[in-house]
Amino acid sequence: MSAKDSAPDGLECCYETRLRQMIELVKDTYRYRELIWALAMKELKIRYKRSILGFLWALLNPILFMVVLTVVFSTVMPIQMPHYAVFLLTALLPWTFFAQSLSYAAESIVGNGDLIKKVKVAKLVFPVAAVVSNMINLLLSLIPLVLIVFAMRHPFHLTWIYLPVPLLALTIFTMGASFFFAAVNVYYRDVSHILQIVLQVWFYVTPVIYSLDTFPSRYRFYFKLNPLQYFLNGFRLSVYYGMLPTWQSIGASFAIALASLYLGFMIFRRKQDDFVFYV
Amino acid sequence: MIQSHISIRAEHLTQRFRVIHERPDTVRELFAKFLRKPVKYRDFEAVSDASFTIYKGEMVGVIGRNGSGKSTLLKIVAGVYRPTSGSLHVNGAIAPLIELGAGMHPELTGRENILLNGLLMGYSKNEMAEREQRVIDFADIGDFINAPVKQYSSGMYLRLAFSVATEVDPDVLILDEIMAVGDFAFQEKCYERMQGFRAAGKTILMVTHSTEQILKLCDRGILMDRGTIAYNGDPQQAVDIYMREANGKDEPLLVEAPSVHT
Repeated sequence: MSAKDSAPDGLECCYETRLRQMIELVKDTYRYRELIWALAMKELKIRYKRSILGFLWALLNPILFMVVLTVVFSTVMPIQMPHYAVFLLTALLPWTFFAQSLSYAAESIVGNGDLIKKVKVAKLVFPVAAVVSNMINLLLSLIPLVLIVFAMRHPFHLTWIYLPVPLLALTIFTMGASFFFAAVNVYYRDVSHILQIVLQVWFYVTPVIYSLDTFPSRYRFYFKLNPLQYFLNGFRLSVYYGMLPTWQSIGASFAIALASLYLGFMIFRRKQDDFVFYV
Repeated sequence: MIQSHISIRAEHLTQRFRVIHERPDTVRELFAKFLRKPVKYRDFEAVSDASFTIYKGEMVGVIGRNGSGKSTLLKIVAGVYRPTSGSLHVNGAIAPLIELGAGMHPELTGRENILLNGLLMGYSKNEMAEREQRVIDFADIGDFINAPVKQYSSGMYLRLAFSVATEVDPDVLILDEIMAVGDFAFQEKCYERMQGFRAAGKTILMVTHSTEQILKLCDRGILMDRGTIAYNGDPQQAVDIYMREANGKDEPLLVEAPSVHT
């Protein structure tokens, strides 16, 4: 049976159109790469402006946070987990990337409203730049992670080289969510506030500060419904445990990531010409 | 395809804004909307059924009272707004700059802003590297070029913004009231630059409130009144009608409120 027989009328053309729209996203991102990069660098420059240590803060933050947590979890409420700092950071760093990207992206269109009202500019550069600037932060924070792994004499697993895979999947997922929140926040400004609450809850229901193993297996099913779990798991498995996720888990993470990008960009794309009337 | 001697052709351009009296700005209002009466709005046509043709190398000034739709018209031509209806054809590259300093960020230095603005206008990094020195020379603000723009005086700010905006090589330039820039010497430089564009055969579409500028610079004047093109032709004639209307008190100043729909 051919695809035509099973698909309702017009669906075949729609697949083609959808594919073309996704190609358009990739093409535009490439076309505006210099502008996206300049906007991302502007973001970082402004974030660390007037601080004496500047970019060093991107490196210091995870170290200081780790010190605090190590003190808390070794003295106040001891955790039976060897090298807890490494365990924590392997999920916390990608989580921070995700959460910060979304917060930045949600404000990216509204915050650049003045610009959008005056200059013809491709709207997608703003959320993409928000993600890119946080990606730079994430990559910088891998340096202190290496130092901490080294200092704690945690073994350097060969599976480190697997890191780009969950990184790519998480970036695609984050990009999709960023497009969605950037677009929706133009129409309802509460969204950026709601997002903060959602992120806080999301943080605690995701195994970042704890391990999924601490829960009885009958509850674990519910955690598997959390899409973020698949990405963070990839980071933690490869760096902390020295293992690789199953093929199913890798497949699931990319399927979720692409679905997020597709849905997020479709909504963004449909609304982008109207942003100028609402910002 | 439009003929090669035509630069901009606009046919029946209409830009309708929905002015919502109770637009739900927040989720609370959105919920309230479901509980109470439906949202009231009225449609407001900032530009209605505007058609015109501009030929290559023409310098066209748009005048009219506040709220007559001048800036909206320019924004449609520049591609900032997608018109509600009508069609627009532009031959060649268009400098999408509407207002001076649109892409300026106060925390970045002058030099960084030149690059960012250039990229926003669609130039590549390499092209901007070539132009950078020329922008700096024209702005002529000395060492301040390496200081954050927030430390600039408003004059310096405008000089830099003007240099960035006009150190470009488009076929069509869109300028919204940007000529009242800087001190006398700098204004002279600006006029010179405008004449240079004209000599180079560029098409320029500008909005201005200075009737003097229209007469001094433009080949053609377009007078906007309540969203429609009231006159399109000789600049002197356009200015005369504009002045007559401005002095006559018989015309209502604002657009009369359209009927309210629900």
